[in-house]
Amino acid sequence: MLVYFVFVLGIGFALKRYMRTSNDFFLAGRSIPAWVCGLAFISANLGAQEVIGMGASGAKYGIITSQFYWIGAIPAMVFVGVFMMPFYYGSKARSVPEYLRMRFDEKTRAVNAFSFAVMTIFSSGISMYAMALLIQTLGLFHGIIPDQYVFHVSIILSAVIVLGYIFLGGLTSAIYNEVLQFFLIVAGFAPLVWIGLRNVGGWEGIKRTLPSNMTHSWQGMAHASTNTLGVEWVGLAMGLGFVLSFGYWCTDFLVIQRAMAADSEVSARRVPLIAAIPKMFFPFLVILPGLIAITVTSHMATPHTAVFATKAPNGHALPLDEQHPHGIIPEKMDAITGKPVLDTNGNPVYNYDLAIPVMLLHFFPTGILGLGLTALLASFMSGMAGNVTAFNTVWTYDIYQAYINKKGTDAHYLWMGRMATVGGVVLSVGAAYAVTNFNNIMDALQLVFSIVNAPLFATFLLGMFWKRTTGHGAFTGLVSGTAAALLHHGLTIPTDALPGMHGGWIAIVHHYPSDMAQNFWTAIFAFSVNLIVTVVVSLATKPREETELVGLVYSLTPKPEEGHLTWYQKPATLAVAVLAMLVVLNLVFA
Amino acid sequence: MGLDIRIPLGLIFLITGGMMSVYGLITRGNAAIYEKSMGINLNLTWGAIMFVFGLIMFLVGRRKKWQDDPVDPRPWERGAGPRH
Repeated sequence: MLVYFVFVLGIGFALKRYMRTSNDFFLAGRSIPAWVCGLAFISANLGAQEVIGMGASGAKYGIITSQFYWIGAIPAMVFVGVFMMPFYYGSKARSVPEYLRMRFDEKTRAVNAFSFAVMTIFSSGISMYAMALLIQTLGLFHGIIPDQYVFHVSIILSAVIVLGYIFLGGLTSAIYNEVLQFFLIVAGFAPLVWIGLRNVGGWEGIKRTLPSNMTHSWQGMAHASTNTLGVEWVGLAMGLGFVLSFGYWCTDFLVIQRAMAADSEVSARRVPLIAAIPKMFFPFLVILPGLIAITVTSHMATPHTAVFATKAPNGHALPLDEQHPHGIIPEKMDAITGKPVLDTNGNPVYNYDLAIPVMLLHFFPTGILGLGLTALLASFMSGMAGNVTAFNTVWTYDIYQAYINKKGTDAHYLWMGRMATVGGVVLSVGAAYAVTNFNNIMDALQLVFSIVNAPLFATFLLGMFWKRTTGHGAFTGLVSGTAAALLHHGLTIPTDALPGMHGGWIAIVHHYPSDMAQNFWTAIFAFSVNLIVTVVVSLATKPREETELVGLVYSLTPKPEEGHLTWYQKPATLAVAVLAMLVVLNLVFA
Repeated sequence: MGLDIRIPLGLIFLITGGMMSVYGLITRGNAAIYEKSMGINLNLTWGAIMFVFGLIMFLVGRRKKWQDDPVDPRPWERGAGPRH
């Protein structure tokens, strides 16, 4: 039945070429309806890090992972839609770094453009790596390609497909594909959740099997040692809920680009709000399977004993995030020796990244299994494509046009965009091979975000809402924020980790209970340093003329015209509705 | 924009949903396959749901020809839009 899944990809491919109607490679001609952009908005973000990472975290940490959605995304999405989108769309900037140039100066933009370009390459590399690893582990091409080449072939193959459709159709093609992928993902995972819940006896069944800190999203938040994430609520709310999520959703061109492709300012503002609604329910599609995977005990062939141990067999106390049954999660195998990987205490390490794929194989009969796997691959592709389109735009407009060739014709820049697509994909392949040191993909990604993205939000916040902020202030703030993030990462380390990629490469002055906590606090430090430095330097330097800042700063920009809209069409109404739903969801799973 | 996203979207769901339902119909007596999904013929049921969804999307996409409607020009046709 794999033929059929190849067939689906084939259709997608055929459509991709048919969609080459885009007249504007980078911004899709600013002509896409709001709902299409909205779906692309979340789908671009729904890459490997979402589906695999969230499933993995769901299995590892429990429903608490939904915080990444409910605290870590929705409020920021509402904020960007209501407050920030008028500046992005209204200023006619073509990219986020370009907005920075208009608001501040050239050097701030350069820093942002370069760091962003590097980040997209890494994200897309992570996506590719995860996909290839998955294909290899599941043995999808077993028998077709010799085993030792599977990893490489998958990377190249996925790179070529994504390259193909972006090269041909630019952003329009990427957005259309993202919408298709969104629906495929929903169609592939919805029946999985349904059948899985039936199997374990519904939500009540999960609650009976798992310890209570796995099924409540807020329990034990008072202190890091009593919840599975190992983060106390201050770190969570400030680090994830404020700095990281606002930094990501409000300043990451990857997602903003989708909203900028909308056909009008009102649409552009509605894009993140529309996206927030499905986003809110995504935990049920991606986190729940992870929870189900550890709840399922002995449905069929391989009986698993659900041992509920707080002590490891050899007497060592297990860390809190391991004190639950592991269900059908396989043990992590060493790719070279073929033996199970053991941690320093001799306990088996579980490969949580396989939570969702294992669920698919466990519950889906032939036929729908093809759909499920296609959905999984679709999610990788959309994540990769999102990064690549963002990369080619930033490269062409903000690096190439700004510094290398200022006087090219439009056709020349279009050509450059295509070349940048090729270059971006090639670099991603390189990044894919570089990313191999982390057990949980999510952690790796959060690390990149906390170093690059976290200080950014302070710059935007001050730039948009405080007219006194100056270019020099923004620049020094941004640089010192990033430096603070690096420094913090170099000085601290999560317990149980060796110095190196996980931190502590300068000296170890502080131990965090978990990777997550370290990431969140890195973000908080970077943000605060940036905020303080920007304010101080701004006060010391000369501000720009107010007339130059109209349309770029909140207090100097006329409020968006909404008079012609009835009350239910206004973005604010949608925003309130979204927030109300969020509160209800949080109460249900509190 | 000549192409409404709902048409390819509808087509994909029509085709995959159709294939799954047909496959589900052929294998509906086969208990071995559906032991995994606890005796529920997921191919047939979910395939049918996808088929219907695809059909709706396809028809709506075909019927709603706002692109060609001269009465209500889309923003990019007004000439005032931010073009590059």
